[in-house]
Amino acid sequence: MAIIMILLAAGTMLILALAAGFVLGWANKALHVKADPRVESILAILPGANCGGCEFIGCADYAEALVKDGAAINKCSVGGESCKKMIANILGVDVTESWPYRPVVHCGAHTGDKFGRHLYQGEGTCSGANGVAGVQGCTYGCLAFGDCERSCNFDAIHVIDGLATVDYHKCTGCGACERACPRHIISMVPFKREKMLAVTCCNHDFGKAVKAVCKVGCIGCGACARTSALFSMEKNLPRIDYEKYDPETAAQELELVMGKCPMKRLLSIGKPTEQDLAGVADEKTPPDLIVDKFETTADKTEWRG
Amino acid sequence: MDYLTTILLMAITTALINNMVFHFFVGNCPFIGVSRRLDAAFGMGAAVTAVTTVAGLLSWAVTYYILAPNKIGGQVLSAPLTHAVVQLFRPGYDGVVDLSILSYAVYIFLIAWAVQLVEMYIRKFFPPLYKAFGVYLPLITTNCVILFTCLEIMRHASATSGAEQWGLDKTLIFAFFAGVGFLIAIVIMAGIREELDKADIPKALRGPGITMVLAGILSMAFMGFAGVDRGLEKALHPPAKETAWIVALPTTQPAQGPQGQAPTSAGAPRQ
Repeated sequence: MAIIMILLAAGTMLILALAAGFVLGWANKALHVKADPRVESILAILPGANCGGCEFIGCADYAEALVKDGAAINKCSVGGESCKKMIANILGVDVTESWPYRPVVHCGAHTGDKFGRHLYQGEGTCSGANGVAGVQGCTYGCLAFGDCERSCNFDAIHVIDGLATVDYHKCTGCGACERACPRHIISMVPFKREKMLAVTCCNHDFGKAVKAVCKVGCIGCGACARTSALFSMEKNLPRIDYEKYDPETAAQELELVMGKCPMKRLLSIGKPTEQDLAGVADEKTPPDLIVDKFETTADKTEWRG
Repeated sequence: MDYLTTILLMAITTALINNMVFHFFVGNCPFIGVSRRLDAAFGMGAAVTAVTTVAGLLSWAVTYYILAPNKIGGQVLSAPLTHAVVQLFRPGYDGVVDLSILSYAVYIFLIAWAVQLVEMYIRKFFPPLYKAFGVYLPLITTNCVILFTCLEIMRHASATSGAEQWGLDKTLIFAFFAGVGFLIAIVIMAGIREELDKADIPKALRGPGITMVLAGILSMAFMGFAGVDRGLEKALHPPAKETAWIVALPTTQPAQGPQGQAPTSAGAPRQ
């Protein structure tokens, strides 16, 4: 009887599966949705990170918008140049040159440069610390709790020695860190070259007040704006006009400006160029030295008060 | 009670009193997950209702005809189809072949099948709804509301479980209104949550936290429906007057209690 029982059970499942399979097969034909094949092929090309960098809900939404509404093909910063070319091939449009946007952190103060850092006993996030007075002297600069680091899907921004630092090798330019920073010190800049000049300070106060809270902050002297037309002073800070910025022709001018800057707040950031690499090619990497670090563990404790 | 009243009371009981979410606490995943916006919530409720109805009916048919033993004339036998197949192999075999062990596998299978159908249907005729569901539509497959409905139906389709026997009609009512109960719950919740977006909630409670608290409060509110069925029954079929038993009654009928309760022996016609 056990054999019959087993056979019955197996037969039941088998017959059910066959019947259901037939019905589903029929339904698949009857309820088939004609999808644009281009949408699927574009979806296959897109990275599938669903990061929202393209300002659509996800990759599928963007693929649909590309085919139906003719959205711009350069929106996907993660896929980059190759992705753009392939999409252009599928849609049969021409690729126009556009600059990749990359984040720039407008702060250059490491832990030792910041005055007035007090022991903060709250939530260990920038957005939490930003709502509390007296966490650090500078009310504009990087708080270094790493909201940007947590927001990045590509492991491309890290808080190193109290300052958010972008790893341009890994960065895809999705803009998540820009949206995450509660102090809005990260801005997306069109990178026309592997290294770009950037103002690494965002303190709008007058020079004396900046000196009181930071070793390296921009004092708003305006030397750069007087030297070059690329710069304009705006609320005690130089702003670089990236539209006019042409590193090939203005290299000497920029060198001069960087020399004039008393606080050395104009830095070239980005990936090292070939010239840079060639410059240090014959240098040996320094051997690892044991350096005394006079830190206590209390510095690293995340208080949950 | 006549047939229509039974059906009506069963519908109200299933949808409101024994509400799937607030009484049995099943189907919490979509209840929390898809109740952010009212239109999506209503769509989800409608989809779940469709799937419960289809899967419930299928599971009743499979249970009644294949899996569970049933009573025929006081004698417990295998289910009709199973019995017939067994007779093919072993003519005259009168043991009971109980295939209830297959129930979970068969129900999950049927539910997944029904969900596939509903998904194709929605994709074809309601593309915006299909987009709004996103990942939650395939998740209906593992929605406890539906499996719970199927298992409840199994209890009432097999003769040996001791529960009341349901035919196809009661099964249909139960399956459909189980889905409707879920729909009511999720729509109320979505309406509240749309208002919550503007409310000043402590940060720690935002999102699912406050929703769980709300679900508890709502479930307590739904306890207020307890007894609605009896009240309705009384309203539709007023009990006989207390003096009614003095009037000449059929001698077979035992005297009624002072509260005018129904006689204990089943099948006596109500006055």
